[in-house]
Amino acid sequence: MSTLRIIAAFVRRDFLAEKSYRLAFALGALATVANLAVFYFIGKLFGGAMAPHLQPYGGSYFAYVFTAMAFFGYIGTGAGSYAGRLRLEQTQGTLEATLSTPLGTLPFLAALTAWNFLFATFELLIYALAGIFVFKLNFAGANWPAAAAVFALSAACFAALGILSSCFVVLFKRGNPLAWVLNNFEGLLGGVYFPVTVLPGWLLAVSGLLPVTYAVRAFQLAVQRGAGFGEIKTDLAALFLFNIILIPASVWLFSLSVRRARRNGTLGEY
Amino acid sequence: MRLEVKGLIKVFPAPVFSGGRPVRALAGADLEAGPGVTGLGGANGSGKTTLFRTLAGVLEPDGGTITLDGLPASSEKLRALAALCPANPRTFYFRLTAAENLRFFGALAGLAPAEAAARAVRLADRLGLAAADLERRFDRLSEGNMQKVSLIRAFSRRAPLLLLDEPFRGLDGLACRGLLDLTAETGTSATVIITTHNRELLYSAAPKTLRIENGRIEPGGPR
Repeated sequence: MSTLRIIAAFVRRDFLAEKSYRLAFALGALATVANLAVFYFIGKLFGGAMAPHLQPYGGSYFAYVFTAMAFFGYIGTGAGSYAGRLRLEQTQGTLEATLSTPLGTLPFLAALTAWNFLFATFELLIYALAGIFVFKLNFAGANWPAAAAVFALSAACFAALGILSSCFVVLFKRGNPLAWVLNNFEGLLGGVYFPVTVLPGWLLAVSGLLPVTYAVRAFQLAVQRGAGFGEIKTDLAALFLFNIILIPASVWLFSLSVRRARRNGTLGEY
Repeated sequence: MRLEVKGLIKVFPAPVFSGGRPVRALAGADLEAGPGVTGLGGANGSGKTTLFRTLAGVLEPDGGTITLDGLPASSEKLRALAALCPANPRTFYFRLTAAENLRFFGALAGLAPAEAAARAVRLADRLGLAAADLERRFDRLSEGNMQKVSLIRAFSRRAPLLLLDEPFRGLDGLACRGLLDLTAETGTSATVIITTHNRELLYSAAPKTLRIENGRIEPGGPR
């Protein structure tokens, strides 16, 4: 059974399901634009007030938050969508049917959120076009190979966090402490809406434990200031380390969670 | 394919802090079945569905052995070799058409889209499901037609072990006749185990019948 064929089947299924909710699709796109507009006006209001903190990134507040939101919007897909998709499968009664087939854990995990990643790519494209043509941002100085490396490492790392988070859904159905942390603290402590240097020392120390901090900083430096691999090597190494630990651990724990649910007979429960 | 089950045990633990007791759904069930149709009768809660879900690899057993052609069968192997038609047909994507659902589940079982579609059309005809219903969104189908789609999903896998849990539920007379024929045909090459509370249909479908009581299988048909 080819993994690509499985991924294609999941993408087609999710596209057809999403397409059937036309209004939600349109409202989602509108929300993205409205969100951007909020930060655009915040940037205009405060002007250069945050200049010292933004200096390392060489841009305006809007350019900073725009880049971070576009980036975080994509990599955050991995963190949030695994648990969300799995929960949806549970509540509509299809999880047990899907996992009653010869489908293995790895193809299942690769396919489960493929649609979310595809849609996030589309959103990223909209962000980029809006940034260039509507908000007149200039990305001419960006170091795209370095940005792509940060992007790939970050997406994998956040997908692993998402898989870990979905283990709670498999075992406890509702009540997901990891998703709670990801939803409530990544934005605050990870430097998505402002550079983490604004944070007090003790919070700065906590932010150093989160992969998002390294991901956002490295991406900002590569895109805003054109930083190369040498300049962001510490952040890349940190992300690499997170990946080495999180990817195998998350897949193993997910298999274990499904196995436990099969043993307890709770796989089809919600 | 020869299926042998010995001393199968399945216990559902009580939820933590619930104060409840574990449920012993299978208490050492023994079963032997080869190619052909075997009927399984039993009262509500006697363990039929748990047995089927364990034989399909959906549940992991807590004890006992399952062998296929003399070789131990893990849950993973059972998922590859067994097709289950569950008692409840509401295990499909409601916003997708029946055909799209069958294409999706076909892909998970290793079927190419064209093959899945061709098998769906052939089986729909046998079960009296109109072509228009195959193209209808699943949540807009009647209960009986949902059941037919569920049967098509199971039969289209052409698995060597086919488990049909209450397959006649909601079917009209013509569809019941079609299902009896289809089951008999499938039984010429595969091991089919079927359960229903309808004694007449059970005896029509299966030349050999067993009974399950309190998680144990005994010879003879339903009481």
